[in-house]
Amino acid sequence: MTNVDVVQIEIAEEDSLRADMYDFIASLLRTEPSDELIAQVALLEGDKTPIGSACLTLSHLAKTLDNGLIRNEYVSLFIGVGRGEILPFASYYLTGFLNDKPLANLRSDMSAIGIRRAEGVKEPEDHIASLFDMMSGLIRGRFGRRFSVAEQATFFRKHIEPWADLLMRDIEAAKTVVFFAPVGTIGRAFLEIESQAFSMDGTG
Amino acid sequence: MEDTNKKDAVAGRRDFLKGSAVSVAAVGVTAVAGKSASAGEVEVVAGSGYRETEHVKAFYASARF
Repeated sequence: MTNVDVVQIEIAEEDSLRADMYDFIASLLRTEPSDELIAQVALLEGDKTPIGSACLTLSHLAKTLDNGLIRNEYVSLFIGVGRGEILPFASYYLTGFLNDKPLANLRSDMSAIGIRRAEGVKEPEDHIASLFDMMSGLIRGRFGRRFSVAEQATFFRKHIEPWADLLMRDIEAAKTVVFFAPVGTIGRAFLEIESQAFSMDGTG
Repeated sequence: MEDTNKKDAVAGRRDFLKGSAVSVAAVGVTAVAGKSASAGEVEVVAGSGYRETEHVKAFYASARF
């Protein structure tokens, strides 16, 4: 589908792990989790950090909950009948409306980076999973080159930081949430690490 | 002097991330991420391998570099 040469870029281990975290969280929030994904999540281990202990909870839920129930939970949280309990789009969180100015701003930045919504994806690009995919791509150099930490910070501060923490809290506290509660916890803890790390880089 | 501060800041960030991120590897997130890496929602616009086009320059300008 794309003819772009994949640029092989060496990235530091901690950056690779950041990209892994974005991919991991995106995979859980993108669509109803597949049997394969749930089986993978069941293999997660834990430690004493906030992310580690939420991973342990998530792993336990993946092992014990019926996969169909997990997928039903996804639908009722994020899709619903008419609409889900949570609308995980930047525009909605920032303005109260879908497809508003924040989406236009994002599309303009995506065009500058040289990326677009993949074929077959119906949701607007400002879905949390899309934005996390983009962060991962910027870090890994999936979009033709590696983007500097300062450039990553600019994208993060503009499109993710202003609203994603609130989204993760909404997921943790949703009425129908079980499986996705620790996903929200992991997301919130990770976003906090990202915010702090970007502020240490001397970029502001 | 400024260079030293900048280097310190970068090193501080790296150390901070290492401290937080190592546990991420330990708990196995990487394995899950590896399974899903190809399922991204965005793709590179065909033929737009990195070139410093007017668009990219505009992005830098808007990002205040």
